[in-house]
Amino acid sequence: MKTDRNAVEFRLSLALLALVALIPAAVSNPYWLGVIIVSMYFALLAAGWNLLAGYTGQFSMAPACFAMIGAYASGLLSYHWNVSPWIGLPAAIIVSAAIGMVLGRIVMRLRGPYLALTTLSFAEIMRLVIGNSYSFTRGDLGLNVPGLFDSRLVYYYVFVGVLVAVQTGLFLLLRTKAGLYLRAIRDDEIAAASRGVDVVFWKTAAFTMSTAMSGLAGALYGGFSQLVSPELGLIAQTGLVICMVVIGGIGSLIGPLLGAFLVYASSEALREVGGVQLIVFSFLVIVFARFYREGLWGLAKRAFMRKPA
Amino acid sequence: MLNVDLLINGLIIGLFYALMAVGLTLIFGILKVVNFAHGEFYMVGTYTYTLVALKLGVDPWLALPLAAGAGAIVGSLTERMLMRPLYSGYTSWGMLKDEYAVVVTFALSLLLVNLVDKVIGPYSQRGPALIDITRMSLGPIMLSGQKLIATAVAAATIVALALFIRYSFWGRQIQAVAQNRLGASLAGIDTAKASNIVFTLSGALAGLSGALLAPIINASPDVGSFPAIKSYVIVVLGGMGSIVGSIAASLTLGVLEGFGAVYISYDYRDTFGLVILMLVLLVRPQGLFGEKGRDV
Repeated sequence: MKTDRNAVEFRLSLALLALVALIPAAVSNPYWLGVIIVSMYFALLAAGWNLLAGYTGQFSMAPACFAMIGAYASGLLSYHWNVSPWIGLPAAIIVSAAIGMVLGRIVMRLRGPYLALTTLSFAEIMRLVIGNSYSFTRGDLGLNVPGLFDSRLVYYYVFVGVLVAVQTGLFLLLRTKAGLYLRAIRDDEIAAASRGVDVVFWKTAAFTMSTAMSGLAGALYGGFSQLVSPELGLIAQTGLVICMVVIGGIGSLIGPLLGAFLVYASSEALREVGGVQLIVFSFLVIVFARFYREGLWGLAKRAFMRKPA
Repeated sequence: MLNVDLLINGLIIGLFYALMAVGLTLIFGILKVVNFAHGEFYMVGTYTYTLVALKLGVDPWLALPLAAGAGAIVGSLTERMLMRPLYSGYTSWGMLKDEYAVVVTFALSLLLVNLVDKVIGPYSQRGPALIDITRMSLGPIMLSGQKLIATAVAAATIVALALFIRYSFWGRQIQAVAQNRLGASLAGIDTAKASNIVFTLSGALAGLSGALLAPIINASPDVGSFPAIKSYVIVVLGGMGSIVGSIAASLTLGVLEGFGAVYISYDYRDTFGLVILMLVLLVRPQGLFGEKGRDV
C-alpha cells in the first residue's frame, strides 16, 4: 500500500512542533527561549520559501527582504500614525502580498532564472531605499516598534501556533488541485501549460503566498524584537533561509522546519566559536545540493524506513 | 543642453559594468544558468590586487594580471567542480538544472564572502593606484589618472574579448555550443572544454574589473555584491546571452544612472536600473536585444 508522503511529513512536523511547544517546561532561560523564537521566525520564512522553491520550482532571493517589508509596514504605521500593531499585522501581510503580486505578475511571465535575478536586485535595492529614506524610515538607525505582548512566553506560543497553522495550510493546499498544479509547473512548465494549467497565474499565486508568509513573519518578529532595521533584509539572511531549506530537505513539508531549528540553534553555538556559521552552512549546502538533494530529511527517511517512500 | 561631463563619466561607469556583465552573459549563453557567485569573482580580483600590491610590494601593473589570473582560477574551479555535473554526470536534481545552479552558486557566493570575512577580516582596504595623477583635464572633463587608465584597459579588454569570441577558433566553438550544445558536440566540439573556457574567461574579466576599481572602491568582503547586481540587471536588460546587448545595456545604464543621480535623486540612483528593468520586462520580456525564443 502506498503511504501518503505529505501526510507522513505533515504528522512528523506537527510532532516536531509539539516537542518545541514542550521545551519551555524544561528550559526557562530567556536567552534560549529567544533563540527558539528566532528559529521559529526563520522556520516561517523557510516554509514560505519552500512552497515557492521546493514545490513550484521558482527561486526567489527575497524572503528576508519581504520580511523586512512586512516589519516596516507594521512599524511605520505605528510610528507615523499610531496604528495599533494588531492592525499593523494584517496590514503587513497585505502590503508584502501586494508587492509580491505586482512583482510576480511582471516577472513570472518569463521562464528561467528571471525571478532569482529580479528578486536579488529588488532585495538589495529595497534595503538601500529604506536605509536612505531617513526622514520616513529613520534609515539605518531602525524603528522602535511597540511589542504585541508583554511576555516572551506568549510570543513563543504565538509563533508555535502560527507555524502549526501554516503547516496545516500548506498540507491542505498540497492536497488540492492547486498543489498538484504547482508541482506540475516545477517538474515541467511546458508540459503543465500544455495540459491546461495557467502557469503564470499559479506561479504568481505561489510567489504571493510566499511573500505574504514572509511579511507575516517579519511583522511578528518586529513586534518581538521591538526594533526594525534594514538589516532584516540582508542577503545573508536570505542565505540563511536557503541554507535551512536545502540542509533540512527542499520540497518536503518537514525539511524547512527541521533545517530552521537545527541551523539556527547550531548557528548560535558556532557564533561562540567565532562567526564561522555561514561558512559551515554554505559549504553544507553545496555538498547537499551537489550530492544529495533530499537533505537531512532524506537521510533520516533512508535511515528509518526500509522501503523508500 | 547636454552635459558632456556626465555623459562621459556615465559611459566610463558603463564600461566597467560591461566588463562584469559580459562574463555573466557568456555563461548564460553557454550553460543557460546564472552564476550568482559572479560578484565574488570580482571580490577575489579586488583582494588579490590589493593584497599582492600592498603586502608583498608587487608592482601594481604586475598585480593586475595576477588578479585576473586569480579570478580565472576561481572561475575554472567553479565550472569544474560545481557546473560540470549539470551536463555530464550526475546531480540529484534531475531536470531541475536552473534550480541546482541557483542554489549552488548562491551558496558558493555566501561561502566566499564569509571565508574572506573570516580569513582577511571585515574592514575595507584601499588598493594602490596604477598611476599617480590625481586630477587631469581632457577637454571639458576632469578625470583622475587611475580612472583614465582603468577605462583604457577595460575598453581594450572588451574589444579583445569581442574579437576572440567572434573570430578565434575557441571563440567560434563557444558560439556553437551556445547555439546548440548537442549539435556542437555532434560536430566534434569539446563542449566541456568550451564551458570551462567561458567560466575561466568570465572569472578573469570579473577579477580584472575588481582590480581596476580597487583604488576607487575599497576592498571589503561584500564589495562584489553591487557590481554583480548591476550586471544581473544589465544581463536581463540586454537579453540573456547576448554579448552586444549586454554591452549596450551597460553603457545605457551607466549614462542613465549618471544623469539620474544629478537630475532626479542622488540617494536613489541605484534604483533606476531596477525601474528600467521592470519597464523593459513589461514591454519587451526578451530584453532589449534578445531574440524572441520559441520552445519546442
